[in-house]
Amino acid sequence: MTAAELLSEYGDHVFDEIDLEIEADSLAGFATACGETQSRFIDPSHPDFQSVPNYLTRIHGTRSLPQGFPVEMHRCFDAGKSIEVHKAVRPGDRVTGKSVIADIYEKSGRTGTMLFIVHRMNFYNQDDDHLATVDWRLVQREFS
Amino acid sequence: MHSHSIASDDGRAKVENYCQWIQKKKIPIDGFVLSEHRQFDDANDYRALEDRFGLMILKASEVETEYGHVLVYGVNDDLKASFDFADIRNPLARVLEEAKRCGAVAVPCHPGRPKVGMCAHWETKGEVEGVEIVETLNGGSRDGENEEAILYAERYGWKRIGGSDSHIVSHIGRCATRFTADIQDIDGLVSALKNDEYEAVLPLEGT
Repeated sequence: MTAAELLSEYGDHVFDEIDLEIEADSLAGFATACGETQSRFIDPSHPDFQSVPNYLTRIHGTRSLPQGFPVEMHRCFDAGKSIEVHKAVRPGDRVTGKSVIADIYEKSGRTGTMLFIVHRMNFYNQDDDHLATVDWRLVQREFS
Repeated sequence: MHSHSIASDDGRAKVENYCQWIQKKKIPIDGFVLSEHRQFDDANDYRALEDRFGLMILKASEVETEYGHVLVYGVNDDLKASFDFADIRNPLARVLEEAKRCGAVAVPCHPGRPKVGMCAHWETKGEVEGVEIVETLNGGSRDGENEEAILYAERYGWKRIGGSDSHIVSHIGRCATRFTADIQDIDGLVSALKNDEYEAVLPLEGT
């Protein structure tokens, strides 16, 4: 299948959904591990305590790809993550993450052809506020 | 003649940051061409940045063919409709032919680079008619790649340009093209490329 055919078949629908409750220790621990020193990120007693902006990049769904997606994992590697933050995560939030395949595209480089699969997780809180969009890219080498 | 902004999937430089870097480092260039991968960036307008920094910011594309990557200057609606810019297997002959038909100029870039450069494919797949200009100085080349491009340009009498192939701000100006013509816009650039009014230069001192 071509990249366009794969996107047509597997893109644009939610293939995985997770729910989680955010705990203060998790927010503070992640911020500390990132080297953050501002008290509003590492001290749960701070009146404006909240997540560091990249907090939701640590969350994975239950599936990397939709059921039946034709990928050869032995030729794949992680091509990085990016996050667009819309609203801070707070302790006690009930967060829902919904996964879609947002894009599939090819490119060629020194090592040959590559297929990029963009797994997008949109995160919402209990009020249905959009918290963040996290794009994780998976690349498969020598796609043909 | 060859740079990428965040509009490209592997570009890490904002156009404004390129401008700031050029100004701060006093890089001796009059402007730069954004050649985003597999697309033509219709969405962004850089005229305000041009005025603010006194630089010319032009747009082109870097498309992909079975002979490697190709810069296209003078992209217009006719050209965009003539082949799929997102396709990584466009036939080089078609890209060259359609560019010419639509009044644009197609320039195989980093031709000495393995897999995505034209030279190696030239030997295995055969020669292609219509190549007139190649990028012989590419700022992202590894040892031997620009030399290979120069050898081919000498052998076939191709004209030569230089381009940074920058993806981060500090790489802008690593290679460049010096024009004798007074270029004010993309039409002027295309016109100059069709004539013989330029040379590939450097890497630039201080970059």
